[in-house]
Amino acid sequence: MLRYLAGRLLRAILTIFLVIAFVFFVLHLSGDPAMMILSADAPPEAIKAFREAWGLDRPVWEQFLAYLFHALQGDFGNSMRDGRPAMQLVLERVPSTLAITVPAFALKLLIGIPAGIYAALHRNSLADRLTMMISVAGFTVPSFVLALVLVLVFSVQLGWLPSAGSDKPTSAILPIVTLGVAGAAILARFTRSAMLEVLGQPYIRAASAKGLQWRKVVVEHALPNAAIPTTTIVGFMVGTLIAGAVVVESVFAWPGIGRLLVSAVSNRDLAVVQAILLLVATTMVTANIIVDFVYGWLDPRLRRGGTRGR
Amino acid sequence: MRPVDRRRFIGLTVGGLVLPRFAIGQSDTRPTINIAVQQVATSASLEVVRERSNVGERVQQSIFETLIDRNLKSKLEPIPGLAESWKRIDERTVEFALRKGVKFHNGEEMTADDVVFTFGPERMFGYDYDSGSNKTLFTTVLARDSIEGKKLPAEVVGIAKRTFPSLEQVVAVDKYTVRFVNRVPDVTLEARIGSSGCSIISKRGFMEAKTWIDWARKPIATGPYKVRELKPDESLILDAHDEYWGGKPPIKTIRFVVVPEVSSRINGLLSGQYEFICDVPPDQIGALAQNAKFEVQGGLITNHRILVFDKNHPRLADPRIRQAITHSIDRQAIVDSLWAGKTRVPPGLQWEFYGPMFVEGWTVPEYDPKKTQALLKEAGYKGEPIPFRVLNNYYTNQTATAQIEVEMWRAAGLNIQIEMRENWQQIFENDGKRAMRDWSNSAPFSDPMSSMVGQHGPQGQQQQAKEWTNAEMNKLCETLEVETDMAKRRAMFKRMLEICEREDPAYTVLHQNATFTAKRKDIQWQSAPAFAMDFRADNFRWDRKT
Repeated sequence: MLRYLAGRLLRAILTIFLVIAFVFFVLHLSGDPAMMILSADAPPEAIKAFREAWGLDRPVWEQFLAYLFHALQGDFGNSMRDGRPAMQLVLERVPSTLAITVPAFALKLLIGIPAGIYAALHRNSLADRLTMMISVAGFTVPSFVLALVLVLVFSVQLGWLPSAGSDKPTSAILPIVTLGVAGAAILARFTRSAMLEVLGQPYIRAASAKGLQWRKVVVEHALPNAAIPTTTIVGFMVGTLIAGAVVVESVFAWPGIGRLLVSAVSNRDLAVVQAILLLVATTMVTANIIVDFVYGWLDPRLRRGGTRGR
Repeated sequence: MRPVDRRRFIGLTVGGLVLPRFAIGQSDTRPTINIAVQQVATSASLEVVRERSNVGERVQQSIFETLIDRNLKSKLEPIPGLAESWKRIDERTVEFALRKGVKFHNGEEMTADDVVFTFGPERMFGYDYDSGSNKTLFTTVLARDSIEGKKLPAEVVGIAKRTFPSLEQVVAVDKYTVRFVNRVPDVTLEARIGSSGCSIISKRGFMEAKTWIDWARKPIATGPYKVRELKPDESLILDAHDEYWGGKPPIKTIRFVVVPEVSSRINGLLSGQYEFICDVPPDQIGALAQNAKFEVQGGLITNHRILVFDKNHPRLADPRIRQAITHSIDRQAIVDSLWAGKTRVPPGLQWEFYGPMFVEGWTVPEYDPKKTQALLKEAGYKGEPIPFRVLNNYYTNQTATAQIEVEMWRAAGLNIQIEMRENWQQIFENDGKRAMRDWSNSAPFSDPMSSMVGQHGPQGQQQQAKEWTNAEMNKLCETLEVETDMAKRRAMFKRMLEICEREDPAYTVLHQNATFTAKRKDIQWQSAPAFAMDFRADNFRWDRKT
């Protein structure tokens, strides 16, 4: 088990390092920040001064090593626009983003998983078809379209909820619903597929043939086995808690990480973009590690280093 | 009578202290208004010497004031602001008589000391300023240097130096009189002093701020509204400055809320969440105007959309090709189709608020396909491709305008090809293939020095980027800066227009830019011919019935 955990941790550290390196080189090679950040009519001496001030005049590999050196000590650079430490700016926005992504995540679980299970248990029934029809609509309609439809109905027509902003507690409702609906739809489809696959397995027939109550067969045999593919999707959703609301935050003028990312990219605020992507990578990797641990807990064969098919 | 015991005494005392304030609070029936904007300030600060964007001008109007104001109800002509009057002492000196009884947001009275401090090294020029130097460091965004203390960001010094290339000193003659002395004769000194970067600030307010960025986010000035809080990329909250010299502000609190999406701004207006929304695109005006509860206002601002030429490109070296390009654009068709006729084709790179420097009768090159064809024939143009670098809607309607132009040029026999670019660096890349690009020009103050010379002269962007130069134009720029005879100056400016727009085209003007604001119809408010929003007592009334 310890070897299993250590392997996963090493892989996670390597992934974060690769993300840092990739983001750093892509950002620095995709254009000269001096030209982007300075006014378009900046004279050469201003551009030179800017490059020197931010160390952009040094070779990229040297800049990368300097960045790594400082990052390991917790210094992720300053925002070129705001002046404050980039990570501080990013962390200030985290609570705001979590205020909509965490409830939306709960909504996804509360709607998606029961709906998928129900549809699988009532395969080909009217309820199944209706659930799947709503599910298909849920994940095919782009989130910005859904957001605008919700605003038109609940803000413009009915006047029940604010159309944008974050100044009232009710401002969070529409962003949460927008994020939650699409995720629930995806989860419902995956849960249904996983359940259908498990329900067709011989051990389910064997359990039923032994005379076990159908409820017990589903709860004790079908659900745990169907949980592994569902866990993968849920893990991915956990990973998107930090930066999975870029579009929704823009449409609803919600002051979270997504809005900061859009603003930082358009202003070429490299340190902030890098800090956000580092945070996102760390969240995704952490979520994946947790999922790996959960796999091990759900399936003892994985703990022992085996494979499911063996 | 009931005896006054300890509990009753405390109750009466606390009540006595609280009631008047409560009563004052109750009697303030002024509204709070919410304004959705696409951005409050691009530099995450409000300091006028740093935040120079159009969106910044919109909110700064309520916070700051200059010695010489501009008439927002007319054509932006100069009117008395914080100075009641001013007079020329000589060709290098202007003296201002300050308005008495003007209070800053911190309650202090404005005096000559504050004006001197406003233009001093601590706030504007830094301590290395040299009025004899011609070098200008024009940068933006180096705030990192300012965080630890009051050291000015480099761009502040650069902008100050560009606004006042030769300001020698500002002197307090007495408590209410100030003199500005320039190193060289300059007839534009009053116009420069009246420009937005020269708003007067409180010396004490600046000195009391812990860091420069603290100051820049909560400046103390004299405008009708004071800053309560700026949350960059989120909101700006302003409260009424009840000691405002121009009368009690009509709004208790103004909330500028950042809503980047157009559709979200419009939905917010329709649902009643916002009373005003800004930056309404022209294609949405019709739909909003059909709703009886709302109206769209606004229009022309002091900014022209132009096309810029690189005359080093082999196809454009012959001025006749550039002239042909300028004659083959039906500018009015662009205005009518993409702007619903809500803007205009201006008389070249100039504005009426130039006053005596405005060249009457000047026009952009007329749309004349036959003339185009004749010019192309003379120049021996055989349909060789000419690249046209375009950003994706950096300017309103930019891509659509470029597509229409290309078709117009094609019809006239020109093979101009759009090349989409992602950023300004790619637009400016001098790889020998650079030929044409989009741009816009503003006039920060009422003189061609601010636009024609500032943008197309030797220190301007176009020449700095090595796209275009002209010896006669450069000589004229030098002479115009120090010439004081207005008739001679106007003649020089006319000659500049002839060179840059007709003989050896550096650019060609397409149309004037415009900005549109939608609002509730029951609010009496008039937009200005600028990005600035005026919420003073004589320009706002809301008879709330609902």
